Amino acid sequence: MSRYLCIACEVFARPLYSLAATSPNVIDIQLVQRSLHDEPNKMRPKLQKKIDMMEDRGYEAVLLGYGLCGNGTLGLQARTVPLVIPRVHDCIAMLLGDAKRYADEFEKTPGTYWFTQDFAERSDEEGKFRSLGPIPDEALAKQYDVFVTQYGKDNAEYLIETLGSWQRRYQRAAFLDMGVLEPDGYKTKLEADSERFDWAFEAITGDLKILRGLLNGDWAKKDAKNFIVIPPGSSVDITYDKHVFRCTPG
Amino acid sequence: MDKIVKEIYDAVVNGNASGVKTKVQAALDAGVNIESLLNEGMIAPMKEVGELFETGEYFVPEMLIAARAMQAGMTLIRPVLLAQDIKPAGKVVIGTVKGDLHDIGKNLVSMMLEGAGFEMIDLGTDVSPEKFLEAIQAHQPDIVGISALLTTTMTNMDATLRYFEEHKVRDQVKVIIGGAPVTQAYANTIGADGYAPDANQAAALARQLMAA
Repeated sequence: MSRYLCIACEVFARPLYSLAATSPNVIDIQLVQRSLHDEPNKMRPKLQKKIDMMEDRGYEAVLLGYGLCGNGTLGLQARTVPLVIPRVHDCIAMLLGDAKRYADEFEKTPGTYWFTQDFAERSDEEGKFRSLGPIPDEALAKQYDVFVTQYGKDNAEYLIETLGSWQRRYQRAAFLDMGVLEPDGYKTKLEADSERFDWAFEAITGDLKILRGLLNGDWAKKDAKNFIVIPPGSSVDITYDKHVFRCTPG
Repeated sequence: MDKIVKEIYDAVVNGNASGVKTKVQAALDAGVNIESLLNEGMIAPMKEVGELFETGEYFVPEMLIAARAMQAGMTLIRPVLLAQDIKPAGKVVIGTVKGDLHDIGKNLVSMMLEGAGFEMIDLGTDVSPEKFLEAIQAHQPDIVGISALLTTTMTNMDATLRYFEEHKVRDQVKVIIGGAPVTQAYANTIGADGYAPDANQAAALARQLMAA
């Protein structure tokens, strides 16, 4: 039995709590808001601060529930205990349980917007379930009004059209069912919403393999290829290939 | 500067597309010098827009509407430039890398380069190495611009450059790259000729590469 601290994005909340409860190890979980996804340059100092604050608390390792996340984890430094990160680009690979499976899904339909229960429940917008797409209808209407006031109606229409244009190129809404609990009405709502955007809807069964391996200490095994262990003093670096990460000695 | 050119300048900076269109037409009808119209009425205000963006006074929406206003003017100016055989600052083929469907950043770069006097050939999103190669052969550009928003697609930039090498066109063009996850370090790793962190600096980079 080991004692670990897991610092993770809140999109993993329910699976992580569930896995921690049944892990042979003692795991403390610290969730970080998912909106940092949009701002990798803020993610890095925020995560480093959390890592630093947890020094000398008796943890044997700090486990990161993050991937490369738009370079948001690059440069993070392990202090007095090892830092462990799954070798994935983002949460989707993590929830699919396999980087290869993600690559295949991506190849098949690059224009996929992925959803999970935690993603919806832990929205920064006053806890409301989000409509499909990153901009909820109410927020979009509000944004339009602001643009009209600032730049006139003609420009406002152009801006809304331009800033939302990616939605027309997306083709699929994928709901990742992690099997942790019955998704309630969320799946049905997504299905209805995806019709509105003319996106195909697909429910895909996730796989907790990577998250479970992270908490259970699979990374300590000799042939653990899904994780990188950054020893104390070293930091996280990028490889630009399937390994995603490498370690830079401090 | 002509009074009407100054008005066009202001209309571009303020993102007033219909105003630019009306005034450019009036300037053309009045026989205003076409190079002055291009340089003072289109390129100069876009340079100011770029600087306002750099200093944090302008954000993406202001840049987009200014570029749209500039484009409204360019639609009228371009045929005249062509008729008078006035050459662009350079020719650029631009596109989002294979597998990536995002283009707001790429479009901004494209508009800022157009605003800097470049002729733009925009291939859109999800552009395969093959499509880039075809465009190089068809248009003989000076510069190829490649963008990516995702770390998962960014590495296709490397594959694209290797494809150019295989087909012996790499030396014919300067390749510039950009997009949220892209860094100077990555540009160095794959041997791109340049990297810019934003649309304004991309325009400066393109000018610099043309002068080299």
